[in-house]
Amino acid sequence: MIVAFFFYVFAAILLVSAAAVVSSRNPVHSVLFLILAFFNAAALFLIAGAEFLAMILLIVYVGAVAVLFLFVVMMLDVNFAELRGGFQRYLPIGATVGVVLLVELALVLGGWKFAPDAMSLRFAPVPEATHNTAALGDLIYTQYVFLFQAAGLVLLVAMIGAIVLTLRDRQTSRHQSIERQHARRPADTLAMVSVPLGVGMAEVSVPPPPAPPARRLAHADGHADGHADPHDAGAAHGGGHHDGGGH
Amino acid sequence: MNWTLALPEITLSILAMAILLFGVLRRGESFSVCSMLTLGALLIGAVLVIGQARGFAFNGQYVVDPFAVFAKLLILAGAALALVSAQDYNREEGLARFEYPVLMLLAVVGMLAMVSANNFMSLYLALELQSLALYVLAAFARDELRSAEAGLKYFVLGALASGLLLYGISLVYGFSGTFDFAALAHLLSDPSHASAGLIVGMVFVIAGLAFKISAVPFHMWTPDVYEGAPTPVTAFLGTAPKVAAIVLLLRVMFVPFGHLTSQWTQIFEFVSIASMILGSLAAIGQTSIKRLMAYSSIGHMGYALIGLTVGTVDGLRGVLIYMVTYVFMSAGTFACLIAMRRRGRALEKISDLAGLARTDGGMALALAIFMFSMAGIPPLSGFFGKLYVFLAAVRAGYWTLAIIGVLTSVVGAYYYLRVIKVMYFDDPAPAFDRRPVGLSFVLGVGAVVTTFFFVFPAPIVGAAQAAAAALFG
Amino acid sequence: MSGFLATPVGTVILTVAEALAIVVPVLLMMAYLTYAERKVLAAMQLRRGPNVVGPFGLWQPFADALKMLTKETVIPSGANRFLFFLAPMLTFGLAVIAWAVIPVNEGWAIANINVGVLYLFAISSLGVYGIIIAGWASNSKYAFLGALRSAAQMVSYEVSIGFVIVTVLLCVGSLNLTDVVLAQRHVWFCIPLFPMFIVFFISGLAETNRAPFDLAEGESEIVAGFMVEYSAMAFALFFLGEYTNMILISAMTTILFLGGWLSPIPFAPFTHLGPLWFILKVSVLLFCFFWVRATFPRYRYDQLMRLGWKVFLPLSLIWLVLTAGALELFGWLPHA
Repeated sequence: MIVAFFFYVFAAILLVSAAAVVSSRNPVHSVLFLILAFFNAAALFLIAGAEFLAMILLIVYVGAVAVLFLFVVMMLDVNFAELRGGFQRYLPIGATVGVVLLVELALVLGGWKFAPDAMSLRFAPVPEATHNTAALGDLIYTQYVFLFQAAGLVLLVAMIGAIVLTLRDRQTSRHQSIERQHARRPADTLAMVSVPLGVGMAEVSVPPPPAPPARRLAHADGHADGHADPHDAGAAHGGGHHDGGGH
Repeated sequence: MNWTLALPEITLSILAMAILLFGVLRRGESFSVCSMLTLGALLIGAVLVIGQARGFAFNGQYVVDPFAVFAKLLILAGAALALVSAQDYNREEGLARFEYPVLMLLAVVGMLAMVSANNFMSLYLALELQSLALYVLAAFARDELRSAEAGLKYFVLGALASGLLLYGISLVYGFSGTFDFAALAHLLSDPSHASAGLIVGMVFVIAGLAFKISAVPFHMWTPDVYEGAPTPVTAFLGTAPKVAAIVLLLRVMFVPFGHLTSQWTQIFEFVSIASMILGSLAAIGQTSIKRLMAYSSIGHMGYALIGLTVGTVDGLRGVLIYMVTYVFMSAGTFACLIAMRRRGRALEKISDLAGLARTDGGMALALAIFMFSMAGIPPLSGFFGKLYVFLAAVRAGYWTLAIIGVLTSVVGAYYYLRVIKVMYFDDPAPAFDRRPVGLSFVLGVGAVVTTFFFVFPAPIVGAAQAAAAALFG
Repeated sequence: MSGFLATPVGTVILTVAEALAIVVPVLLMMAYLTYAERKVLAAMQLRRGPNVVGPFGLWQPFADALKMLTKETVIPSGANRFLFFLAPMLTFGLAVIAWAVIPVNEGWAIANINVGVLYLFAISSLGVYGIIIAGWASNSKYAFLGALRSAAQMVSYEVSIGFVIVTVLLCVGSLNLTDVVLAQRHVWFCIPLFPMFIVFFISGLAETNRAPFDLAEGESEIVAGFMVEYSAMAFALFFLGEYTNMILISAMTTILFLGGWLSPIPFAPFTHLGPLWFILKVSVLLFCFFWVRATFPRYRYDQLMRLGWKVFLPLSLIWLVLTAGALELFGWLPHA
């Protein structure tokens, strides 16, 4: 009884938030509703006993994909009125396509009958005793390892593609070489000279610092020094009420 | 788990990643080195393909049969030729980045997996692997508007086609409960299981795959993408992926849907006729030779599809032979196109070829050979390609197809011959820049294969025969 | 009694009681965590820290809380009111609900679910929403910059945290937190998986936006970042959430690497003190949080990204492969 109750609660919220995703005026709200929808879908998975899928849905979609989505939507200045204009113009075509697909889907569901041997052709369902997660693992990494690896390659290509098409190596940008900074010793650049009183620079023989090894070392050091700032000013005040917060 | 069967794909993927790492970690220009390594990888792939055992792997998701081996070798050859012809062009145009060969290699992995796919899921993933790499390659000259546009257009339309394909696959799965080709074939051997939904699904699958071979109702992207993409990429697009897609189409039609021949024959009859007619008519008005090649490829796919429509072993053999001849003449033609540079700038107008016979006789001769061959003039290879498919059509009683094929060939001959006329009889334009060695090599290979195909067709015809017979089981 | 507890009403009451039994100590611990932090920092900087309110300043946390409660809540003009208030609640709520699966002792978890590790990972990966929503809803550029920094940072470090967790799971063969602890009876995972332990701890610092990864607040550049516009109770909720998250990450580290409630001294009286060991281990880790804060300057943004993607990610991947290889090679794979 409780399970049925929660099922309807989650399913109802899922549907409402899914509708809100498409209908809300503000794209940021849309994404937030999408996240809510994901949440409820995860809850439905939980009710169905697919705990692993539920958690993966949260981790992958809510924890990573939707964050980036939200990120982009917040950064972009999406002109929604304009989008809506296009939406209305293409509504008839879109609706037609949608209806056709819906009819076909209905056709499938209506005409869904397994051929007698179709059932036996499917891979054997998981025995009751096997753990949900283990069963999925067996399917993905053993039965369908070929497909899994192929999907991995597809993602690799997508990544290479994104980098190839967008990465511009600016020749002017200056990179920090952490290894070189670590390898640097005071003796390489500093010379201690005791200057007698009343004696000008000319009289003191300042040994020239050893030539900087290779490329613009001085520059890289500038980075390091600039950021070796004393730690949190906030921490120095004993009475602060928050670690970095409101002073 | 018989994973060693997939050794070519596995090895090539690992090599692709190794080359990628090498390119990333190596300072400075690494395009040439990575290209050489990729060529080596393709060679290793070919050796592994030849040595491949026959059979099924990964629970029947992957198959190796003579049919697949034949197609794989052709794909590897096409890719190698395309890569060789890309070398100097890319350096001149500032596209000499090591990702280029890596993406090509990954696309090749996708194509190899495509022709070995024996399950709708592996089909889809392999197809996406190949397509995604090709989308990126089409947009590789990212600072050039046309290339970026070509990439985007290809991507959006390709994604749409993938959507159709996926929807079709889901319908087929919904009505049959299986993704497996063999299981589907088994299921459909009883005609009562061929429900309407399953056939609708099959039509969607056909639509998705027809997009990949740019057959007529789904050809719109071809001219724009061919024109916009950097020419070496076009050369690649026009050869290996076409082979992979058509071979995949053959397998899908003959293995899982082999018992539904009566359902799909008419579709392909229409597609084939429409492609042949559009390919020959639309090419006439073109001034850009890249667009001309795009329409020409649409037409060629129409001819190849005759063999599929016929649906006999003869027809299949015809398609395979057609693809062999097509790959070599296309590779050669595109090598000529890539060589069309004057004072460091790439040209692509047909009129730029004016009087080529007097400025560069060798290239003019080679291009003439390719054009004659594409027009189907004996004794060049293109003639034999057409001959085998027409023969199969006539034998199986598809007179209409054969007649339309011959008629459109005659129309098509007009624009191929126009190119030859421009080269040999027009007043010469200034000479092209010196042709790099790689291009000469590709030109030479293409010309030799095209010209001397008739001397020893036996091995190729025999292999095609064996491959076709294997698909029929 | 047990009959009543089996009824639906009884179950609800029992669950609420269990939840309170864990949330109240956690909140108390959190309150004194702020006190401890200030004392520790003060000691490291040769100061005295809070010492006015109550003996040794022990009432300081309550004084602060009271102050927060009585302050005015300021809502910036142009802020999205609903989201503006949702954000701190989300932050605090997520920090608290994660405790549902933390086993303090054998069998002492509210929900001993099969996928406990994933649940924790999921909840901790949701923490970013509180920050990103706060940053956006405040309608302030500093807040927004802080939110963007934080979102990128948390997503980046989650990747290596994920791999570290997978490495641990490989050694355990179960996603259940109790099983994870019990698998460490012979040797705590911080010994064989020492590099992963370090990666996890540092990523935990980043995940909780603590120094030296507190770029989301970065008070010297973006004046407290995402929470610049918050005051009074809303601010207090962020504050609570952050410290509760610190305890949570320490508890996760304890469970995954330090053997949870297991006693380092393997004989009678000590082995019965599970929860105390647990608290002790968590406290040691929390001390390390403060220690790091007092010692290291803040990372620059590109350095942060470099560390996450170019150091931790490859390191954890390599270690994952090594671990899997070793387990397979020596036949140590646990059977679920």
